[in-house]
Order: sequence, then structure tokens, then C-alpha cells
Amino acid sequence: MSTERPEVSGFRQSTHICLEKIREAMLHHRWHEAAEYMAFYPQILEDRTRTSAATNKELVWRLSTEILHHHPKSKLEDYNNIYERMKHSGVKLYLLVSLEHSFHLMLHGHIVDAKRQLSVAESWRYGKESAAQYQTIKLIQAYRSLLDYIIWCDKKFTHSDLPNFDDNQEMQNYFRQASVNLKEILKNPGVWDPFILSYVEMLEFYEDHEEALKVLNDYAYDNSLPPNPNAHVYLYQYLKRHNAPQRKLMKVLKTLHVLVPSHELMLEYSALLLQSEKKSDSEKVLGMVLEMLDFACWRRNLDVWKCLKAVIEKLQLQDDWRNIVSGKMSERKDWWPALHFTKFHASKDCEDPELMGVKVALVQILCPDLKCTKYTAGEGSKGQ
Amino acid sequence: MDDEHTAWYREACAQCAAVDWGLSDEGRFYCRCCHNVIERTKEVVDTSSAPGSTRVSTIGRGSRTKRPEGGRQWMVCEGFQFILMKQANALVQLGVSPQFKDKVLCQLWRLYLQRSRQAYTHNPVRSSKFKLRSLDSDSDSAAESAVTAFSETDGDANLSSTAGSNAESSSGWSQFSGSVDARNYLGPRMKRNCGLMSMKKTLALIHLALVWSREPLTLSDLLRFATEGHVPYLNAYEELPEEMKLDGKDGFIFRVESIPSHHTLHKEAQTLLLFLQLPAFPPISRQSLLHPALLSLRYLMDANLPDELHPWVCQLLERAGMAEHSLHTFDPVSHPLLPRFDLQSVALIIVTLKVLFGLDDHTEWDLSNVAGDHGDSENMFSLRRWYRLMQAALITAQQRRNQHIARKQWKAKKPLSSSKMHINIVMKQKRTAEQVQACFQKLSSCPVGVQPAEPSSFRFCWGDEDGADGPSLHHQKLDSAVTLSHNVHAASNSTYWHPALRACDPGKCRNHYPEVEASLPRSLVWLLQLFSFMLDVTPACLYEEVLGVERRVFGTKTPNGCGAEETNRTDKKTRRKCSQRC
Repeated sequence: MSTERPEVSGFRQSTHICLEKIREAMLHHRWHEAAEYMAFYPQILEDRTRTSAATNKELVWRLSTEILHHHPKSKLEDYNNIYERMKHSGVKLYLLVSLEHSFHLMLHGHIVDAKRQLSVAESWRYGKESAAQYQTIKLIQAYRSLLDYIIWCDKKFTHSDLPNFDDNQEMQNYFRQASVNLKEILKNPGVWDPFILSYVEMLEFYEDHEEALKVLNDYAYDNSLPPNPNAHVYLYQYLKRHNAPQRKLMKVLKTLHVLVPSHELMLEYSALLLQSEKKSDSEKVLGMVLEMLDFACWRRNLDVWKCLKAVIEKLQLQDDWRNIVSGKMSERKDWWPALHFTKFHASKDCEDPELMGVKVALVQILCPDLKCTKYTAGEGSKGQ
Repeated sequence: MDDEHTAWYREACAQCAAVDWGLSDEGRFYCRCCHNVIERTKEVVDTSSAPGSTRVSTIGRGSRTKRPEGGRQWMVCEGFQFILMKQANALVQLGVSPQFKDKVLCQLWRLYLQRSRQAYTHNPVRSSKFKLRSLDSDSDSAAESAVTAFSETDGDANLSSTAGSNAESSSGWSQFSGSVDARNYLGPRMKRNCGLMSMKKTLALIHLALVWSREPLTLSDLLRFATEGHVPYLNAYEELPEEMKLDGKDGFIFRVESIPSHHTLHKEAQTLLLFLQLPAFPPISRQSLLHPALLSLRYLMDANLPDELHPWVCQLLERAGMAEHSLHTFDPVSHPLLPRFDLQSVALIIVTLKVLFGLDDHTEWDLSNVAGDHGDSENMFSLRRWYRLMQAALITAQQRRNQHIARKQWKAKKPLSSSKMHINIVMKQKRTAEQVQACFQKLSSCPVGVQPAEPSSFRFCWGDEDGADGPSLHHQKLDSAVTLSHNVHAASNSTYWHPALRACDPGKCRNHYPEVEASLPRSLVWLLQLFSFMLDVTPACLYEEVLGVERRVFGTKTPNGCGAEETNRTDKKTRRKCSQRC
């Protein structure tokens, strides 16, 4: 009669218990204790079983960085140390750790070091591995270019008082280095806002307007990229800066309206449309403003209500304005009162008499069946 | 011809094992039988320069691989001999008498070598021709050489046999790294011998030597010292001398993955005992410290139980018929099982406690109430108070042990690997691990290579000084559990319970503890856990031993507890009258 303990090697038992202790300490935010146990854990990297080697390396990397983030005595050199070690410990991790390392340096202001890390990572090749991790490589290239742009900005700032401002060779170099990748960026679907903006800024500086416009148009209208309202906003802002004709502006805003009816630029769109002579445009504006007010975020915005008032006043010049208004309001009249014209809203709107005034003026036109609210009875009424 | 250049070279060809070398056009040696070209080239001597000139007078192109400094050939059992010696020295340092090492362990080792036909025999296991030196006097086992019994080959190590282990040398010249017969050691032929040495066996051999010398160091103590590092075991091969270089194959033999359990090592020792065909051991009499009569005193102290319990344990010993030394001494004829001294003593203590306190989750607490109500409760032993004290100490000790397990470093400073490429990877991983470790060591200011705790036979420390686990209860009286009537001390508790005692057929069933545990009283289960923590065994092992003691005391007339007779499956409470003569 005998009892046998299950065959677990002492090494495995030790590392398992050590990992549990580290996890407990981290979950309870006992960072000193976690660092203490972490000093005993790296022996797992010497484990000879090949299947878990990659997992172990990733585990050690992520645990170490997490502890360093929270430990009060951690310094940048500790981070650098850990990142360098873990980077070179395995092929699969090299790019990921490089990227995180440079993010860390970037966030702590060491732009040049961050850029150096990414440059080294960019030139790394390892047969099938580098082919398999191409997405990470794309990210690395993009961020390297962004860092070039940041350095370019710094140089622009520091050299802004020099006479030969435009011909600064250094800046040109950085611009060239950055644009190599930024040009290619749009080939990969994704949301690249900061990269596009930085590229456009540099292009504007060097007065390459064609290219800038092309980039913005591609970003906004290319179907392979995910729909991104910001792209249209950037395009619109650029066009506005460069005094593009109204027609173009309105075209961009029209697409934006489809994507985000509650966008603040809709106010500008409405203003533009109100200037036109066509009757149908006024109807469009009405619809647009009402759609904006469908969203609770515009509820207390005076500009929107004023715009609504303006469009209704313009509409009243037409004969069938009541039909138009009621047509637009038909799908709304069930829930608009609850959205805008309740007693609670009235009590809040009392603080802003101008807004109150506008709303009172409009409520009868928009919701003629609504009775007995503070808005219909005017101020100081006894409406329920 | 070129025989003058090659005739002296008597190394066997790696491919065909012939010794017939010729010189190729480029000056390289080639085997005439299989045309295998080796790295060795003939020496080129420039004789045109006058002596005494500053020009280089000889251009010699010797073997490509340099002879590593001070390396020599060695056998696997030499390595084990060295490790055994280190372990024995460590034990002598801890207080074991030197007789154990000089008179007993040495002899056992030689006996082992003889039985496994690795030395001291006319018919060695290997096919090589080793000359045996005559045996020197054995009293001197000083450190200068661990290889007094082995001879090195003559001359310049031109081994004509063991071609297998030399095959990997590319130049045909012995590499001097790694043991010579590691490959044979791991091969199937020697494995069938069943007598092969392993790291576990070193501990088993030491245990046998300790038992023979009647040293009070039990198996659980030995394992504990090995775990804590006081006795070299983990990575013991690192202490081999510089000249005995190890390589990858040796790693399979000398590397350990874990410290063996008590049960495994006991089985190993038992096997070794039969393999060595030892005669009867020196008897373990009542005076020797391994006898339960005296060994139990130690465990009573460690468990903070009152000294007054000891006479009761001795009484139980008599009752169980276990006082005879024959029961505790190995004898191939009458008692072929190696006794487990530590488990036996502890089992006796548990049964004594059961006799006095019942341990059925009721009696002991009633008796504790009596002790508490007594006027002199300070000096009265109360199981409840003892339990509270022990539980707190036990939890702390368990946490401390878990901490030690979590912090234990298993990897050697000099890792072994079989191929050159692999060793590079291994060293790189090691460097990474060390760097990360250094970073966090600095951060937490906590040294990794901490000194192991002071070695001690005791798990707990009782008393009033700093660092004690609690106040000592050794002086307390058992009056609450014992009554004095007619000048006879008798246990207040008059009933004793035990489960069905007949031993199961070892071929049919294994240990029943996991199934039975849920139905046992919690006091007994806790007691088993306490003592199994102290000895580092499983509670199931200890439970078996307790049942063994009860069998001796009460006989096995009760029905079987398992098997076909399901009707008697549950515990059968047997009422026995308890009284002890003092």
C-alpha cells in the first residue's frame, strides 16, 4: 500500500508557485512584493522545454514592464535594460518589444532615442519571421515617420528665427525621410489620423498643395479604408484654409452629413446652404438642423436653435411652409416634446433667457398640438 | 613511404575502427581501410635554419583541437564517488560521526561497485582493459584524490576500447571532456544491470549508511537537508574538480529535476538493500536514538507536547510489542523490510494521543474544558490551547515553506548541453535570465542567493526568546486527561475507536486515505496534516503507519475494510478499555 505524489518536477513546482505569488501581489497592488518575487522568476527562461519558451519570454516581458510601471523606484535605465534583454531573447518578440520600447521613450520625451530604436527595428530581417510579422513592421515604419515629423517640428520651432528658414537642409532631410513611409501609408487600411495630419502639415509648409490635396482626398474617399468622418473634416479644413470655392466645401460637408448628422460642422453647412437661393436648400437645412437637434448633445446650444429659427423664418417666405414644417416634424412629434420641452428643461433653460426666448418662439410652430407647458404658456405660467 | 609519419599514430579510425593510417597529398592523415580523412596533419619541420637564429625553427601543425588545460578522462562512477564524498563531508559537518563516512559509507560504496561490476571485479561491465591497483588501506579518505581505487590508463590515454565515446572527437584525439562511459551508462546494456548509480541512489546509499551507523538522522531529515542545500544534491556535479569536465550526456546522469519524496527514496533504499545483499544490520536497541522510544521524544518536543506524554508512548510501545529491537533492525531473513523510523515514531505519538484524548471530535474538547476549568490551568495541558498554538505556527511555517519553494533556484551556474550549438542557446538564455534577475534584485534590494537557514533538526522553536513560534508547553501536566486511582495512572478517556484494521492486499488496492479522509474526525485529520508537514510526507503515508501501529496493538481480528465485503465498509467503532500501568 503506497501513496505516490504526482510527478511534478521541483523546478516546475517552484516556478508555478512563484508565478502565483507574483500574480497575487500584482492584483493586490503590492508592487514591492511583486518585484521581490520577480527577482526569483527569470529562471523560467532557462526551462528546456521548447513548447513553452515563447510564452515564458512574453510572460517575463509583460510582467516586468507592468511591475516597472507601478514600482516607485523604477527608472528609465531599468526599462531600457529589460527591453533590450527581452528584445534579443527571441525572434518572435523582437519587433513587438522594439515598438513598445520606442513608445515608452516617446512618452517620456526621448524622441531621438525612440526614433533610433525604430530605425534599427525597421532594418531587421529574419527570413520567414519578418515576413510573418509584416503588420508590426508597417506600424514600425509609420511611427518612425511620425517621429521624424516630430523632430522636424522641433527643428522648425528652433530655427524659426534663422534667415534661411525654408532651405534648412536638416529639416528637408527629416521631411524626406518621413514622407517615404507616409506616402505609402494609405495602402494599408486603417485609421491614420495623426500620420495624415503630420504629412499634410509638412506638405503645406513646403507648399506642395497638389500632393496634400491628393492625400486628403484619398484618405476621405478611398473605399478600401474604413469610413472615417475625421478624414472629411480634415479635408474640409484644408479646403477652407486655402479658400476653395463654396461648391467644393459643400460637397465635402454633404458626405460628412451622411456619416455624422450631428457633427458641429453641420452648422457651417447650414450657414452655407442658407446663402443659396434654391428653395429645396432651405428644406434641406431644416431637415439637417432638426436632425442635429435629435441628438441630446445639442439641446442647450443656442446657435443651433437660432439657426433653426433662421431657417424657419426663411421658409415662412414660401407659401407651403407649414406643410414643409409639419412634414419634417411628423416623424418627430411623438418624442420631441419629451426631448426638449418638458418642465425640467424649462427650469434649466430659465437660466438662459435668450435660449428660452427662441424655444418659446419655435415651440408653437414645431409642435402646434403641444399645450400646457412652460414654453407655451410663457414665463411665470402655471402650466403643469 | 609515409609510414614514418603515421606509424606512431595508433588512434582507431572513427569510421572503421582500424589502425592503418596513411598520409595524403596535402599532408593529412587518412585511413587506408575506409579512406576517412581526419584533421591531423604531419608535422612540418623546417631544417634549413641554423640553431640559435631568431627565425622560427619549426612550423608544427599539430592537432586542430587543443588539449584543454588539466582535463583527464574519468568514469561516471568516479563522479558519483566524488559527489558521495561531498555529501558525506557535509553530514559530518552537521554533526554525524566521522565513523559513518570512513567505516560504513566507504565500504558500502565499494560493495556497490563490486556488485554492479564496475570495479573490484574480474569481470567488469565495460570491455576496456583497466588495470586494477591493489587496494590501499581504506581509512584515509582525504580529499586529495577520489580515485584511489581506479587506475588511469597508461601513457598517453590511447584507449583502444570504448571507441563509442571517443567517436565524437573530430581529430581522433580524446577530447577530455565528459566522462568516458556516459554513453554506455545510458545505453540499454548497462541499464539492464539495474544496478546503475543515480543521484537518487546517492541519497539512498547515505541513508543506509546512516541506519547502519545508527545515527539519529532520519530519512526525512536527510531529505530536508538536501532541499535546503546543506547536503549537496541539486547541481552537485558543479563541485566536481576542474579536471573532470562534463558534457551533455553526463547531464542526463547527474542532473536532478526534483528532490525525491520520502516514499520514493525509501523504495530506492529498499531496492538498493536487496541489490547489495547486505547482512543483518547492527541492532537498534532501546538505547539507540533511532529506536522509537527515544526518537519519539524528539518529535514530542518539536510538536510542543508535554514531556509527560513520553512514558505513555513507551507504554504503548510495550503494548504493541514494538520494543524489541528485532522489529527495528533490518535482517534479510527475519525482517526484510527497511523500517521507516520517523514515520513509526510519529505514528506512535498519534496513537498515544488518540488513547488519551479520543480524537473523535468530542472527547478531546470535553477534556480541554476540564483542563480549562481547573484552578491551575496554566500548568494543565489543554488540547484546545495546544491546537490553537500549533495551528498558528503551522500556518506560518507552511507559508514560509511556500516562500522558500517559490524562491528556490534550480538551474546550475554551468549548464550542461549535448551540442555546441545548443550550449550557445542555453548560455544566452542564462544571460538573459541573469540580467532580468539583476534588474529586479536591484529594484527590490533583495539578494537572490540568500544563505540557507541554519540547519536544524527541529521544525519549530518553542520558548520565550525572539523568533520562537510560541510559548513552550513541555512542562505542562496531563492531569486533565489522566486520573490516578489505586496508584495507577489511567486515561480519563475510557474508549478508543479505530477503523477496520485488517490489511488490504497490496496487489489489489492502494492507499485508502483519500476515500476515508472525509469520514475521519477532523482532529485526527488535522493531526495527520501537522505531523506530515513536519516530516514532509503525505498524510496518507502517515495514516498507513498509524493503522499499522493499531494493528499491532489490537490485532487484526476485525473485518476487512475494503474489498468484496461491502457491508463492513464503514468504520467500526470498537470499544476498548484503556488503562496504562505507570
